[in-house]
Amino acid sequence: MKKKLISMLLAGTMVLSLAACGGGGSTGGDAGDGEDAGAAEMGTSDDENTLTVAAWDPNFNIPALEAAAADYKENVNPDFVLDIKEQGGSQDVETAITTAASSGKYETLPDMVLFQDHWIQKYVADYPDAWQDVNDIDINWDDFYAEKLDYSTIDGVPVDGGTVIMAYRVDLLQEADYTIDDMKGITWEKFIEVGKAVKEKTGKALLCMNSDGNDLMYMMLQAEGVSQFKDGKPYIVGNDKLKEIVELVVQMVKDEILLLPNSWSDYTDKAIQGDQVAGVMNGNWIIPTIQAVEANSGKWEITTMPTLTGEEGYASNGGSSLYITANCKKVDLAKDFLAYTFGKSTVTYDNALKDGGVVSTYIPAGESEVYNEGVAFFNDTPIYAQISEMGSHVQTIEQSPYHYTCREKLGAAVINIVGGADIDEELKNAEDQLNFEMGN
Amino acid sequence: MEKKKGMSLLQKQSRAGWIFLAPATLMIAVMSFWPMISAFITSLKTGSSANMQWASPIFYNYTRMFADQLFLRSVGNTFLYLAIQVPIMLVLAILLAQLLNNKDLKLKGFFRTCVFLPCATALVSYSLIFKSLFATEGLINTILVNLGILSSNYNFLGNPASAKAVIIIALIWRWTGYNMVFYLAGLQNIEYSVYEAAKIDGANGWKTFWGITVPLLKPTIIMTFIMSINGTLQLFDESINLTNGGPAFSTITMSHYIYNNTFGTGVANFGYATAMAFFVFIMVGVLALINMKVGDTRD
Repeated sequence: MKKKLISMLLAGTMVLSLAACGGGGSTGGDAGDGEDAGAAEMGTSDDENTLTVAAWDPNFNIPALEAAAADYKENVNPDFVLDIKEQGGSQDVETAITTAASSGKYETLPDMVLFQDHWIQKYVADYPDAWQDVNDIDINWDDFYAEKLDYSTIDGVPVDGGTVIMAYRVDLLQEADYTIDDMKGITWEKFIEVGKAVKEKTGKALLCMNSDGNDLMYMMLQAEGVSQFKDGKPYIVGNDKLKEIVELVVQMVKDEILLLPNSWSDYTDKAIQGDQVAGVMNGNWIIPTIQAVEANSGKWEITTMPTLTGEEGYASNGGSSLYITANCKKVDLAKDFLAYTFGKSTVTYDNALKDGGVVSTYIPAGESEVYNEGVAFFNDTPIYAQISEMGSHVQTIEQSPYHYTCREKLGAAVINIVGGADIDEELKNAEDQLNFEMGN
Repeated sequence: MEKKKGMSLLQKQSRAGWIFLAPATLMIAVMSFWPMISAFITSLKTGSSANMQWASPIFYNYTRMFADQLFLRSVGNTFLYLAIQVPIMLVLAILLAQLLNNKDLKLKGFFRTCVFLPCATALVSYSLIFKSLFATEGLINTILVNLGILSSNYNFLGNPASAKAVIIIALIWRWTGYNMVFYLAGLQNIEYSVYEAAKIDGANGWKTFWGITVPLLKPTIIMTFIMSINGTLQLFDESINLTNGGPAFSTITMSHYIYNNTFGTGVANFGYATAMAFFVFIMVGVLALINMKVGDTRD
């Protein structure tokens, strides 16, 4: 009897405590608070002054949206409410578009979505009815980087850019007798030379990228002003610059100058934050990741990328823009909000930078005081003004809906070449597979 | 009214039976059969999922997959896992069951629980644990380096051959105990007197195992084989969580590739993905059929 009672009690406590866990999740998460991320239902609001928007990063783009909402509320419409539907990740927004369009139930979409630049072409091509074009919006497009605007085939309003930074640990460079100025405007060959010296002196790699390094090739190629696509077709075989770059990447892997951790979290948590590398090259949204290690404050600085010829290299990787969905009934309000905030307000951009580290692609934003302040973590250099200036030099190259498919195939090719496969054969395979998936 | 009165008892019972069956039948038809039919229709279509068109020729998606190098590779990978992992796992399971069925063994319950426990872990969490165990700075590397077996840390998950091996090891760890339980149950149904008789006749352990245990366990072995084949062909969690199919697609499984063609990589190729899913379905069916025919003891 006693045994029975004890087991009943135990089972009872377990069930209750588990039930409490479940309950805690839903009561703890106020609307858009992040607790219920991923589960946040989208859709629109009946209130005439409320817009809904889906976004995903509580430490990056959501503070930027909040900054814009506060700005618009204070200076234009005191009744304005921006209801941010926080998602678990950018892929949740993509899935939402896919499911809404596949089922024809567009009412599940919010008024606006933040969408990745490299994906938008594909989603506009596949689901043309999911979007509303805003070509008559009151924005002076000349104030934005031409390269940024080239990603989309419909008009969206840029939020953050992906201007590539090459960040170095100056203290480690110094151990190998190099300075940050030595790294500005160099060839990749020189980079490898420095990399070998740094590896020998400090044991650390000078560059890192996740898994198969697939973003590297895109960035390096853009710095040369060349695309992986030509006239809508893959441009891999016969692309001499690309072949040269793949050779360089393979050599860097073999020389252990380039570290390729197996996954994205290994890349950010182990390689970058675990102090395994002396250099990071990626879109400027990688900065918060670098900054997370406070012990390294003052040790990092940024500059431009190396290139094949030794010019200063400029590229862009990632970034996102706001798009109005088919479900938005308050198009005028949405347009007005976007035009006022991300279209021209330096107040929005200043706060987006301060609160979320979001670097804009709006050229006049780079002239503000906030952008020109020295950043202590980066040795008091004004990196945001630097990035803003670098962004204006990025060359426009042909974009494709198949950006990610191409990236995947090239990454696989690199792994195979490192493993001993023939470079020409692997590039041919990559192109064939890409053509297959594109249906060419 | 007239007619109803004329119903015989048997008819009445039969009608009642049908009424009882109807709700469940209807539910299965709506929830299970209709989606299957609808999936088959989808597999004959192509294009963006918002505006799908009939494929021309109608079996385009089915012929396309045989020209798809990546799909063929995923089939190859899956069958490699199947060919290596299933036999090792089942042999291990039967040996463990035999050991743990020993009448004189102490703490039997404890050992049985230990072997079965991996099955209680969720697929995703055990995959992640194996991922960190086999990471370049993980426990396995530390042990091997400290023992002097490896000279420097080896990137197990970053090399095609070792990544495949890790997946197989993980699968064996996860599923051996599960199959062992079936064998244990099977062994318990074998009369101890049969073993005693064998002993008296002078059979050693090896002979008893092959002469008595295996033949009497045959139905259980066939069942575990079918279940394992079925499970391996649908392998997904390990591929996606341990290696994400990489490096260079060398560990991707069929289910993972199908997922990549729906939501996994943002390309919603629903028609093609369902066609591949039907191909897997057919393969599972054929393999199960072969297995049952081979294991059929009726003459």
